[in-house]
Amino acid sequence: MALLTAHKRVLHADLQGDRIRAASGSMVAVEGTVDFKNAGMGGGGGMRAALKRAVAGESLSLMDCTGHGRVYLARDAMDVLVVDLAGDTLTVESEHVLAHTEQLRLDVQFAGLRGVTSGQGLATTTVTGHGQVALVSEGPVMALEVAPGQDLVVDPDAYVGSRGQLSMNLVSGVSWKSLVGEGSGEPFSLRFTGHGLVLVQSSER
Amino acid sequence: MTYPPGTPYGEPQPGPYGGQPQPGYGQPPPGYGQPPQPGYGQPPPGYGPPPPAPTGTTLNPHTLPDDDNVNPYVFCVSLAGDWFMSKGAMLAYYGDVRFEAVTEYTSVQAWVAARFSSPVYVQDWVVATGRGKVLIGDRGFDLNAYDLDAGNLTIKANNLCAFSPQLELKQSIVPGFVTLIGTGKFIASSNGPVIFVEPPFRADPDALLGWADCPSPSVHHDAQWMTQNIRGMISGALGRASGEERQYDFTGSGTILLQSSEVAREDPAVLRLVESQTQLLTNAQAGSLGQRLVARAQQQQH
Repeated sequence: MALLTAHKRVLHADLQGDRIRAASGSMVAVEGTVDFKNAGMGGGGGMRAALKRAVAGESLSLMDCTGHGRVYLARDAMDVLVVDLAGDTLTVESEHVLAHTEQLRLDVQFAGLRGVTSGQGLATTTVTGHGQVALVSEGPVMALEVAPGQDLVVDPDAYVGSRGQLSMNLVSGVSWKSLVGEGSGEPFSLRFTGHGLVLVQSSER
Repeated sequence: MTYPPGTPYGEPQPGPYGGQPQPGYGQPPPGYGQPPQPGYGQPPPGYGPPPPAPTGTTLNPHTLPDDDNVNPYVFCVSLAGDWFMSKGAMLAYYGDVRFEAVTEYTSVQAWVAARFSSPVYVQDWVVATGRGKVLIGDRGFDLNAYDLDAGNLTIKANNLCAFSPQLELKQSIVPGFVTLIGTGKFIASSNGPVIFVEPPFRADPDALLGWADCPSPSVHHDAQWMTQNIRGMISGALGRASGEERQYDFTGSGTILLQSSEVAREDPAVLRLVESQTQLLTNAQAGSLGQRLVARAQQQQH
């Protein structure tokens, strides 16, 4: 089974004859014999996901890495975080996906208005199954807990992903007056309610 | 700062995925990429309904620090009342917090106008009001909190993230800098760790983060550097000035804060500042300045 290991800002992917999917252009070095192949439309999520992705404008370009050996993956010296999934779902912004193991399924979920404000497309990516997914972030990721009575509001640019039974709403933290004149700089934010974890990076851009 | 550096974010957990690569096959060279120590950076076992944090620790309003760093790049403000914050510095918050533009606030609350006397920067700031925990960050830069005790400190406006309302903000004589006066706390970012030095000292304007308790600097032009580099002067005349001959000269006693990066970031307020200064020019002077600026903009496009 392929194993993803985060080493600071580099992801080590150990392959034993199996396959992982990694963001195109993220390979920095390779040991052993590994073949790289474009995963095709929709990041390998199938035709349906490809169509949805095209409609939603959620861009994700992945490549297949198959073989034996170790692949070193990185992007723009961003911090790397490996998330283990055991049948549950991780919601993540597609631009933060660096790699995932073969058994995981990536799909597109329409996020409504939120995508409009953050400029990251109309949809988010969901990762489901058993396996590992590696995320990149600017600065280390913080896992913030959301519980009933403990809502969390996040800047859309700092949002990386979320996990658990969460519902996300768009909130506007400004009054009409500041919308017309000078904005408050936090015009829209995401309010999370329910039970789960929200992953937040330490940069708002 | 209580944050222990080098927390093993995303250290792999030994899981049901077969673990190590098979021996003799694609093994990494010794001493390189050692397998993780078991039990290190592992999520707490038997955690309840929320899934285990992939980062090893879960933060909630009770575990977040009070007015301290969460990690080197994130600061948590325990809000009970008002704080001034730079626009966009907020990453996330728990609790009941409202953000209002300072410009709007000043008309309602006289104390804001009294505390924030910088028309150039006023549109880049908000007042956070309410009760809760606010996480702030600045482009992934290092964040540090500073306590002023009946003192004054001048800092690059771009690097100031937030300050408590007990402090008074004024615009510095030096363009791009603001001065904080009084007793209170403020949070500033730096590209790399902050270096403290004492005058007499000359600093590169880009690496300069701020200064405390000493007189404002004067600009020093290193004549020796310039004459030694005739070729540099020629290229400077052609519009490729290295900038290294221009330095800020500090005298007196106090502390100078430097950041370990010379990367200058665009400050929208500098444009407003310079623009307001052009009122000193005659129409003919303004015209020739305009031509030079157009020429410079065109040159940089090539």
